[in-house]
This record gives sequence, structure tokens and C-alpha cells, in this order.
Amino acid sequence: MSEIVVAKAPATQAPAGRWRVARAVAYKEWAELRRDSRLAWLFGLVFLLMLGALAFGAAQHMRLDRERAAAAATDRALWTGQGAKNPHAAAHFGQYAFKPQSPLALADPGVDAYVGEAVWLEAHRQNEAQFRSARDAGVGARLGGLSFAFVLQTIMPLVAILLGFAGFAGERERGTLRQLMSLGASPVDILAGKALAALGALSVLLIPAFVAAVLATLFLADHDFSVADQLERLLALSFGYGLYLAGFVFLALGVSAFAKSTRTALVALLAFWLANCFLAPRVMTDVAKRAAPLPTALEFRNAIAEDKKKTFGHDETHPAFVAFRDGVLAQYGVSRIEDLPVNFRGLALRKDDENGFVIFDKHFGALQAAFDAQDRLRAAPGFLFPALAMQPFSTSFSGTDSWHQFDFATAAEAHRRRIQTAASEDLIHNARYGDASYVASRDMWERIPSFDYAAPAVSFALAHARGDLVALALWAVLTAALAGFAARRLRPL
Amino acid sequence: MTLSAFLAAWRFEWRLLRRDAAAWAVLAAIATMSALAFFDGAERIAAQKAAIEDARRDETLRLDALRKTLADLDAGRVKGETPPYRDPRNAVFVGGGSAAAVAALEPTPLAIVATGQSDLFPASLKVTSGTKDSFLFADEIENPAHLASGSIDLAFVLVFVFPLAILALCFDLSAGEREKGTLALTLASAESPTAVLLGKLAARAGLPILAMIAATCAGVYLLRGAEPLASCAFALLIAAIFAYGAFWALLAAVVDSFGKSSAYNALALIAVWAGLTMIAPAAVNTLADALYPAPSRSEMTLAARAAATDADRERDAALARYAEEHPDATATEMKLGDAKERTIRRLAVLETANARVEAVMARHEAQLARQRALADQLSFLSPALLMYRSVADIAGSGDRRYAEFSAQLDDFHKRWRDFFWSRAHAGQSLTQADYAALPRFPASADVASASAGVASALAGGVGLPTLLLAVLAWRGLRRCKAA
Repeated sequence: MSEIVVAKAPATQAPAGRWRVARAVAYKEWAELRRDSRLAWLFGLVFLLMLGALAFGAAQHMRLDRERAAAAATDRALWTGQGAKNPHAAAHFGQYAFKPQSPLALADPGVDAYVGEAVWLEAHRQNEAQFRSARDAGVGARLGGLSFAFVLQTIMPLVAILLGFAGFAGERERGTLRQLMSLGASPVDILAGKALAALGALSVLLIPAFVAAVLATLFLADHDFSVADQLERLLALSFGYGLYLAGFVFLALGVSAFAKSTRTALVALLAFWLANCFLAPRVMTDVAKRAAPLPTALEFRNAIAEDKKKTFGHDETHPAFVAFRDGVLAQYGVSRIEDLPVNFRGLALRKDDENGFVIFDKHFGALQAAFDAQDRLRAAPGFLFPALAMQPFSTSFSGTDSWHQFDFATAAEAHRRRIQTAASEDLIHNARYGDASYVASRDMWERIPSFDYAAPAVSFALAHARGDLVALALWAVLTAALAGFAARRLRPL
Repeated sequence: MTLSAFLAAWRFEWRLLRRDAAAWAVLAAIATMSALAFFDGAERIAAQKAAIEDARRDETLRLDALRKTLADLDAGRVKGETPPYRDPRNAVFVGGGSAAAVAALEPTPLAIVATGQSDLFPASLKVTSGTKDSFLFADEIENPAHLASGSIDLAFVLVFVFPLAILALCFDLSAGEREKGTLALTLASAESPTAVLLGKLAARAGLPILAMIAATCAGVYLLRGAEPLASCAFALLIAAIFAYGAFWALLAAVVDSFGKSSAYNALALIAVWAGLTMIAPAAVNTLADALYPAPSRSEMTLAARAAATDADRERDAALARYAEEHPDATATEMKLGDAKERTIRRLAVLETANARVEAVMARHEAQLARQRALADQLSFLSPALLMYRSVADIAGSGDRRYAEFSAQLDDFHKRWRDFFWSRAHAGQSLTQADYAALPRFPASADVASASAGVASALAGGVGLPTLLLAVLAWRGLRRCKAA
């Protein structure tokens, strides 16, 4: 208690004086924290968990990168080595598009295990990503894996609560609060000092982990992901987690100021922690499912099939086909398909594909919009239960949310369309009508580039996580206001 | 005398609990959470059943359409050539897609208690005579964020909320009285202080345990009827709830016996709870994945593609050799675009690819089996993880039932393939009689076979630690001091 030099502080203080009081309280708190061997053990354990999570995340990241690079190379070799073939047969032969992993997935794997790692690109059909790795991991894995995000979102709030729950209630029980206030320290200054000490203690844990995350990110970033972009994302993540954890520090101090005893404060805070980390995400998941239901896979595919029935496909008796044929003949001023200067089959395939593109855009866009509606609904109470805002914010800036997945799927679909169009164009300009023996060679397959995905920039993440950022800021402001309000009503006895 | 002290303490504590707001709050939490979980479970099962019905209706429509086209072809009502992939007589193409059989995994009577993997695996698959990878990895549409967070089911309530309800009532068994100054009086009022403390523990822990069992019985009875209540799996579930509840109650008693403050007890218990329910499962999953990483499914699919390409090339080479050796072969005979040739080529490609895919998938399954075996062994480190897996197995939505389903799929896939390929090899066209004799996927088996495995896992992973804690609690409470 030797640090309580604030005894000399005047009752009415200038701002500089108030800062001295806060600083003195922070020093005193800091000294007490350092002397508490239980906290040292706790910090050591949490720090090890964070480093372990980063190490496992990095190892997993490197393994998956190797596997996907090897798979992409094999797929490319299969594509270019498919031999002389009709271009449309090659379009049916297809390719895979493999999703490159965001380097920050090592910090927050997000939904990566629950979406497919590859999209099958084939003629006439846009496919969903396949191979959800969560299916292979077994039911026990549904309890979660050890990730940096798991520690930050679940364990660190608990640490913040443990740092703050006895902040005022403990002093009151020991009788030191009355002593402190009688020396002229205002409750708000004491609050500021205690918050400063708790945030400082959390920083001791977080700063080395942040440095480790930066190093890992620099090491793992490759041509698909710019280093500068990853660092900007990491900064945004740090800011978001800062708001999230600061809110818990203020909440713990506020509840401690209100509570009659440390026990009451602890029980109330633990109940909130439980509700925030475990109950709210699940309850809101169920609410979102009911409020904005998704189609089943069968309904989704049938709806696409219904729309596709309106186009002609390979059906040359379809009225739309007849209309298209007549339009082409009129456009070229001929009366017979055989007289066209270009291959009509190629034209029909290209037209059929173009009809399909509109249908797929409509249905896949609507599906993503439905996901988005569910996600927004789920995150709506994020200012009260901040895990609801923190989870999507974290996955968004880590590049592992459903919007980043959608961006990848859209890029893969664009590549599929390039392949289809190239195949049809080759037929249009090189094949003779009615000649089923026309084949293209390896040159043609090599001219079609392999799938190369450029991940979206940090602005993409911000655009989709703006609401979550507002919710986190609101959470921090509300808890700070609650703590300030509680401190003003503080009774020393 | 000891028994009477135990009963007296139990009665006294019971009377106190009736006037304790915390006890009512615990009851309300268990009732509310269980109701939400059962409500969610009922909706989940209804959705699964609807999806299976839709798939079967779709199957019926597809088969009816094929039969009708076949009848039209037989009666000469179809003009022009029918492409092989639309021809209902073509065994290779019909078995490979248009007649695909629905293989469904019906929810069990107790599926209502755990989502398990049922939100990740579709309730039904369309089995074709193609390679297994072409139909096995179909997914139901689901928001990935929802899959990642999971929903409220009874397994979640049991594993996470139930222990907290017990700890909330048991964490200050003697510490609370010591802090109020009434412990000395309590201990002095009986010949056996241990019996008194155990009586208090039984009353405090008994309330949430009984409430949880009652909520489980009521939920299953109201939503699934009386029949599941008489099943072996349900008896196992109730035994698991009791053992898991006893584990947490005895853990609270052991911590309380250290003689520390109630705040210390609360912190220590919440730390153990977080360690056993959150950190240990996460660490086990991560470790199992690091030691035996799940094999790449992309590699497997690419092996299938490579096999198909190789088969195509081999066939081209064979045709080229034939043309070289038979310069008098007619153009029609050698025409690659010919419907018959396409069918024969497709069959040859499928057969070659299938053999290779089966081998690659067997290697993948073996690697996954090693990973799961390690996870099984490590799950004994966390009673919570073991309980979660066991409840999922009891509900028929855990790894055991999906492994059984996978084995059934393998058998059926072989039958289905043989049915079509044998006809294709014999050059037979499918007839109406063939359609009437199509193989059908058997109705899903129940989970009775899983019960023995679940029971032994629970006995080893929850029962043994509970017994150990009982011994420690007994010794600790005997040393209980009033100050």
C-alpha cells in the first residue's frame, strides 16, 4: 500500500491531478497483480495456450497449403494432358478450383472447416464448394479446436473478469475503499486507475501474442495475399479485440462497484460470461434459422432446374432453341444453318451457357443474401452480448467468413465461365457444322489459364463487418458508461 | 446413526433449498434450457424427415418418368434417336444417374437429444453406380456460421449448463456456512460431521440432477412418446446424466474440502469447468488432428479423375491398335461418337476409376480411423468430451452410427453397381421387370449395437473419475474444520 501517495491529492483536482490519482491507483493495482502468484500461473497458462494455438494453426496452415498446391498442380496436369478432344467434351471434363487459405486463418479458422475447400467447375452447372473438413473430424470436434480466436474470445474475457471482479467489492470488504476515498480520490479516478491496470495486464498477454501473429502472418503470406493487406487486417483485428476485452474490464469493474460482495460480483459476471460465450451464439443461431429459413439442397437445385427448363440446353426442339436459331439465321442473312460462316453448335452452346449464367447468378446470389440476412440477425444483439459481434468481425478480417467464401466461389464461377466461353468460341470459329470429329489439341487447353485467385482487400472485410464494429464500439462505450455510473454511486461501506 | 445424520442433514438442506432463490434460479435455468433444446430437437427432426420424404418423392418421380419413357419407346411412340444418357434402357447411364437410389439415415427415436453430426451430413444421399466420391460428399445447404457455432440441443445443456447448475449450488458447501459462522454449530449438532456434509451435498446436487433427469424424461415423453423411455439407450442416457452430475457434485465437494473461501471455490471450480469442457476438448481435437491429420479429400477425387483419364486413354490406344490391325474396319464400327461406343467406353472408364477410387478411399478411411482412435483415447482426459460423444452416440447422430451407415452404403453401392453393370456387360437393355427389381436401400438400423460401446466408455471415462472423486471427497470432508 506504500504507493498510496494519493493521500496528498486535493479534494478538488485539476485534470493533471486526476491523472496522477489514476496513475497511482494503477501502480498500486499493478503491484498487487504482480504479487499474486495465482494470476502469474493463470497468465502463464493462457500465454502458453495462445502460443500453442498459433503454433498448431501455423502447422495446419502449412500442411493444407502444401496439399492444395499439390492438388492444384495435379489437376492442371490432368487438364492439359487430357489429349485431343472436342472442346465441349473438355468443358465437361472440367477442373477444380482450390481455395487458397488466408494466412490469418491460423488465428481464426472461422467457417473454413464448414465450407468446402474446392469447387468443381464443369459445363452447364455451377456447383457449391465440396469437401467440408469438419465431416472428417468426428463429432468431438464440434466442441471446437484450439485457436487464437478461441482463446481471445472465450478465455481472455474470463481473465478480464478475474482481473476486475474484486476491483471495488474486494476493497469494500477489506475496508480499504473507505480509506482510499477518505484520502480524496474520486471514484471515477479510482475506476480509471483500476481499468488502466487491468488493461495493462491484458496487454502483457496480448502484445507478445500479437507480435507472434505478425511474424507468422509475414511468414505465411504468399502471392495470393498481400503482406500489407494482412497487416492491415491484423491491426483491425487488434482494434476489435481491444474493444471487446476493454468492455469486459469495464463491465467487471462496474458490476464490482454495484455488487454487495465479491461473491455476488463474481457469480453475476460468470453468468454473463457463460451467456455471452456459450448461450447467446447458440440461441441466436436458432432464432436466425427460424426467422430467415434457407432452402433445402433439393429445393435449391429444383428451383434452378425449373428456371433452366425455360432455356433450351441440348434440346433442339425447345421453342427457345427454334427462336434462337431463327434469330441467328436472320442475323447472318442465310436460310440454312449449313450456310452460316460460323459453327452453329458453338453459338448454341455459348447462348445456353449465357442463359445459365443469369440463372445461377440469381439463385446463388439469393442464397448468399439469405446467409447474410441470417448473419445480420444473429449479430444484432452484439452490443449486449459482444461475442455475437466479435465472432463475425474476427472471421471477416481473418478472411474466413462466408462472404470471403462467396468471393472465392464467385471467382471460381468466373473461371468456369471463361472455360465454357473459350470452348464454345473454339467450336464457333474452328469446327465445321455437323462434323462430330472436330478435336482441339493440348495448345487449346494450355491457353486456358489455371485458376488464380486474388483475395479481396481489407476494405472488403470492413464493408461486411461495419455493423459488427459499431456493435463492438457500442459495447465498449456502454460498459464504460455503466462502470462510470456505478463508480459515481459507489458507497465505501 | 450415521445414516440418520445423513438423512436429517438432507431433509434440513432440502427445506433450506426450497427457500433459496439460487435453487429456484437453477431449476428455472434447467427447465428453460431443456425446453429450448427439445423444441430445437423436434424442429430438427421434422426437417430431416421432410428432407428424406422429399428425396424419396423425387426418386419416385424420376423412376416413374423413366418407366413412362421406356413404355413409350417399347410402344414405338418415340421418334428419332434417343441419346444414351436419356435412354431408360441404357443400364450404364440409368444406374449412373437418372435412377439414383435414395439412401436415407432416418432419425432414431432419441435423435431429439443431440444434433451430433446430423447438421453436417445430409439425411439422405443419391447412390449411383459411379465412383463413391461422386455421391458421398453431397452436402445439405446450411449457413456455415451456424454449423460452426452449433445450436442448442440437450447434449449442449447436459455437457455445459448442467455442471454449472450443480456447481452453483455446491461450490460453498461448507465454505458458505463457515463464512456465515454457522458451520461450527452444524458440525457440532451431529455425531458424524461427514454424514452431515454428505447429506447437504446430496440435497444440493440432487436437486439439479433430478431436475435434469425429469426434464429429459418429460421432453422425450411429450415429443417422442412413451416407447423410447423403455429403451436400453434411454436407460443409458439417464445413467450417464446421473454419473456426470455426480462427478461435478463430488468435484465441488473435493474443492470445498480444501477449507478455502467460497470465492476461491467458485474460481477454482469455474477454472476446472473451463478446463474440462472447453480447453481439454479443444486441445484433444487439435492434438489428434496434428498427429494424424485428416487426409485430403481433393487428393482422393483427383485420383479418381486421373483413373478416369487413364482409362479413357487406354481405350483410345486400344481402338487405335484395333484400327491398325483391322484396316478393313468400317467407319461406323470405329466411330467414337457412336451411342453404343460411348456406353461401352463409359462402363470401361467407370470400372477402372472405381477400382482406384476404392483403394484411395480405403487408405483415407484408415487414416481417419487412426485419428478417431486417438481422439477416442484422448477423450478420456475430459469427462465432458466423453459425455458429449456418448450422448451423440445414444441419439444416433454420432460417429458410430455414421460409420455403420457408411458400411451399409458400401454394401448397397456394390449391389447397385452389380445390378446395372452385369446387365450392361451382357448387352441387355433394361426392361420394366428390371425397374420392378431395382435394389432398395435397407431401412436404417437402430443404435442398439452402439449401447455396449457407449456404456463401457462412460463407465471408464465418467464412472471411474467419479469414484475417485468420491474417495477424495470422503477423505476431505472428514477433515472439515469449522474455522
